Amino acid sequence: MARFSSMDDRCAVLNLSRLHLDDMNLEHIVDSKRKQIQQLHLAYNRLSLLPPSVCLLSNLEYLDISDNGITLIPEDFIRLTNIKTLVAKNNLLDESSFPKDFACMQMETLNLSGNRFGDVPMQFLKLTKLQSLSLGANRLKSIPPEIENLTCLEMLYLGGNLISSIPPELANLTCLKYLVLCDNRIQSIPPQLNRLHSLLSLSLHNNLLTFLPREILSLVHLQELSLRGNPLVVRFIKDMTYNPPSLLELSGRTIKSHNLLYLTNDLPSNLIHYLNLASECPNPKCAGVYFDSCVRHIKFVDFCGKYRLPLMHYLCSPQCSSPCSSNPQSEAESEDENSVPPDRLQRVLLG
Amino acid sequence: MEQTEVIKPETLDDLIKTLHKIFESDCINVEEVQSIMEAYESNPHEWMKFAKFDPYRYTRNLVDEGNDKFNLMILCWGEGHGSSIHDHTDSHCFLKLLQGQLKETLFEWPDEKLQGGMVQKTQQILLENQCAYINDSIGLHRVENVSHTECAVSLHLYSPPFQTCQTFDQRTGHKNSVKMTFWSKFGERTPYETTISQENN
Repeated sequence: MARFSSMDDRCAVLNLSRLHLDDMNLEHIVDSKRKQIQQLHLAYNRLSLLPPSVCLLSNLEYLDISDNGITLIPEDFIRLTNIKTLVAKNNLLDESSFPKDFACMQMETLNLSGNRFGDVPMQFLKLTKLQSLSLGANRLKSIPPEIENLTCLEMLYLGGNLISSIPPELANLTCLKYLVLCDNRIQSIPPQLNRLHSLLSLSLHNNLLTFLPREILSLVHLQELSLRGNPLVVRFIKDMTYNPPSLLELSGRTIKSHNLLYLTNDLPSNLIHYLNLASECPNPKCAGVYFDSCVRHIKFVDFCGKYRLPLMHYLCSPQCSSPCSSNPQSEAESEDENSVPPDRLQRVLLG
Repeated sequence: MEQTEVIKPETLDDLIKTLHKIFESDCINVEEVQSIMEAYESNPHEWMKFAKFDPYRYTRNLVDEGNDKFNLMILCWGEGHGSSIHDHTDSHCFLKLLQGQLKETLFEWPDEKLQGGMVQKTQQILLENQCAYINDSIGLHRVENVSHTECAVSLHLYSPPFQTCQTFDQRTGHKNSVKMTFWSKFGERTPYETTISQENN
């Protein structure tokens, strides 16, 4: 028997939190009153299932079922056609807990932190109206590339999982303002992340990063960057094992840098495919390209007089000097520091 | 100095009044202040109006200016939010948990020839209503909300008040002076006053 612990005059909010409820039945509420309920709070109870009568609240927009023992969201949940926010932190939910048709819902905010997700369920990746997704403190081992389908996403919280790499497709979330990847096992950041041009805050602390891609400098709106607890290199160790380019690579480089014309009939298709994989050397003074053979180059960049960050980019060869350098020879030591203007990345939380 | 009996402040206003009385004197008994702050049982209805969160980082919200003897403020920490390693500019710092938990990591002051990063001393998890104390002679600290599911709210007292402090790079010990700003004062949101390099602490 549900007790109404608080309801305001228009009955929009029904607060049934912290009531030791192990079940709940709203059937005795008349339909007209049920239609008025827009928010339902059921956090901190003893529910192991989402009570079926919740699905009768046809105008429900906000549901909080956090801190229960819920393992399953029933099929009838999709009857809540107006629901925009679901908060279900600290339950026992995993990727098989949600109905298949959940994908058709108009969800805008999903907070499922503190559950048992080992994968992001397919249904979530079809929620095209989703603006905020939190799967913090779960057991995610990877981020699916289909995350790029969530084109309205502004907030993605994936801290406290088992993630070891970031798919470049994440960079297609051009509305993303806040990306949290702290407390994972990430070893590198794909350079494509510089396409997240709406990003204001990036949380990467407590991972396995040794350097960052130089491209991170082009995130012009980024105000917050946390990097503490990463084994960032402090000194440049020159990469002594440079593998000389193969004959295939040298031929490819010559064709590309001399702009030699070729038609699709002139070469076998595998060589056409290979030639299309050429990457431009980032050095603006170098018109060269590279395929597989390149040198990892780390430059320390000074952020507004505070911290030196190791930024990495590839060069086509050890002799090629990196951009923004006036003295090619001194690049080998890479102790030179460039400065990022003080208005950029003011609040880098590194230390 | 004689130990007077700690009278439990029943409300936040009670606590503030008691602190004003204590800080009339120039001599501060750290244990007394810590006991009184710990004795106040956090009641969210009393401090909710100061607890303004920012999605991207922790906020500092001024509660009382303590007759210029101390500053009392409420810090709001979203999931995963943390501070840099910082000092306290020769002031007393009391930190009481009003909601959630915070991890405090103590560090030694870095010396000239730092090898292998700053030296970590101790770590503790502060629980609701607990009150910690630090000053520069004890060391430096980093404070973090390590939870990915819960927010945290803490009550801080600094005496004397200070507007700048130093932050430290854990890997190198390199220090940097920062100006501290308030997200809100007395329950009203206050945008930043300057545009120079700043860092909340």
